[in-house]
Amino acid sequence: MIAFEFTHEPIDAAQLAAPLAASAAGGYAGFEGRVRDHNEGRTVTGLEYEAFEQLAVAEGGRIVEEAIARHGVLRARCVHRLGRLAVGDVAVWVGVSARHRAEAFAACREIIDAIKHRLPIWKKEHYAAGESGWVNCDHGCVAATVAAAPFDYSRQVALPEVGAAGQERLAASTVAVIGAGGLGCAVLPGLAGAGIGTISIVDADVVQASNLHRQPLYDVADIGHPKADAAARKLAAYNPAIRVLARAQRLDAANADEVIAGCDVVVDCTDNFAAKFLVNDAAVRNGKPAVIASVYQYEGQLQVVRPDLGGSCLRCQWPDATRDGLVGNCEQSGVLGPVPAILGNLQAMEVLKLLLGLPGQLANEVLLVDLLAHGLRRLSAPRNARCLGSCVRTGQSQPAAISEDVDVSVSLTAAAAQGYRIIDIREPEECEEEPLPLAGQRSLPLGRLLEGSPDLEPADRYLLVCGHGVRSHAAAEYLRSRGFQNVWSLHGGLAAQRG
Amino acid sequence: MPRVRLHYYALFREQAGRQEEIVETAALTPAALYAELADRHGFKLPISQLKVAVNAAFGDWNRTLSDDDEVVFIPPVAGG
Repeated sequence: MIAFEFTHEPIDAAQLAAPLAASAAGGYAGFEGRVRDHNEGRTVTGLEYEAFEQLAVAEGGRIVEEAIARHGVLRARCVHRLGRLAVGDVAVWVGVSARHRAEAFAACREIIDAIKHRLPIWKKEHYAAGESGWVNCDHGCVAATVAAAPFDYSRQVALPEVGAAGQERLAASTVAVIGAGGLGCAVLPGLAGAGIGTISIVDADVVQASNLHRQPLYDVADIGHPKADAAARKLAAYNPAIRVLARAQRLDAANADEVIAGCDVVVDCTDNFAAKFLVNDAAVRNGKPAVIASVYQYEGQLQVVRPDLGGSCLRCQWPDATRDGLVGNCEQSGVLGPVPAILGNLQAMEVLKLLLGLPGQLANEVLLVDLLAHGLRRLSAPRNARCLGSCVRTGQSQPAAISEDVDVSVSLTAAAAQGYRIIDIREPEECEEEPLPLAGQRSLPLGRLLEGSPDLEPADRYLLVCGHGVRSHAAAEYLRSRGFQNVWSLHGGLAAQRG
Repeated sequence: MPRVRLHYYALFREQAGRQEEIVETAALTPAALYAELADRHGFKLPISQLKVAVNAAFGDWNRTLSDDDEVVFIPPVAGG
């Protein structure tokens, strides 16, 4: 089945839809675009369609493939009519089969919109009055401009270290960007502008108003839309010569290998340690370079992991994955927009250095960037023997999972009845905003719990509670490492109690 | 008494209220130095949750400190 094709024959939707049937498909969505009898106040009697076929077929195929990948649908195809059509004739048809109706509708909608925007197809309207005219419609606007003025890389090809060969290398490269937030919004245009042939974007979040100050790839109209889709749309408009694949999904243990094995470099733009370790581990397992960055307020850290060269990895520096919540993220601690923008651009720079074989690449190092004092510090970070023996290189390690040992899934009332002494480790303002559903419990913010020797009775059993169970997990593990064995963490935190 | 130069990042910068300082210390190791400074500046992160770099290389908490060493405590940050 061809994803996109032209036909000069009348479109028979039922016949075209037949190959889309699949036993796993719970939903099928079809769209028929028909010739209508009027346009801008004039009576239309018929149409003629013309296309720059070679370009349109290639681009149309890409549109359908992108929609299949982005929405995870089973099958999709599109057929566009050419030649002379009468009023009521079907001009374009899209069919999508999917497991569920939501993604079938979404993919179908996206395909027809993209076909109308991106393909070099023109129509000539014949009017009742006898005359006719080529309609300056959406069709082909973008692609036609592209054909007239292709994206021009001459200013970077002019660099002796790049040249035509370097540009070809970039065009043949695939880079996966995990996270399309503050870092990702800088990395993505950097890569798209450089002409990286295929960019895949993985992010499950939707654009929020509070993201915009540091995520200028989005605008206010994108609020509420998946970041991966919005970013892919912007990049496709910015440089239509590259291929952009969006996955509006969280990177997880089930898809990490698939995403990362298929790329030449993975760029970690996530905002938490669990995700960073997931990226790191998959990169190490698959022998792929990973460019990892983090920001905090006015500073950032950058590391390039080169398992392909036997280099050190994130776990060589940070051997366990339980630190989320101990140090604030952008939401809790605040961040100035240019900070992730600069770190993201440094990531894009390292990707290009790596793909082009430029000198000065970070390797077995961590770069500390202080944007208040303008300090850059390259710290040597060699491979750690402990990491070698115990971490992902042996294929044994798993990303931070629920440890039955430390995490307890229980209602607070039941926990109290079972004799746990409950400690609310949230900050005072959090407690004020949402008090525990069980009154009279001890409140001891994380910082105070961890300082000095905690005031815990060895004979008692303690259950730590925080917002989502991340800080309490880290704190419980830490206290156990200090010899307090009777400390547990409420799995999922208060958020899990609401359900 | 080694005399060392410290650079502070992220929450250490906030808690110490400065980006760098030179201290004369009775501490002979980065671990002892951290304990001393934690006391002075109110650092709360447990040592198990951070890294130390001495003279631009990630180092051991129990190595010996010498005069003019540059010491950086590196907090785990993950914002993006």
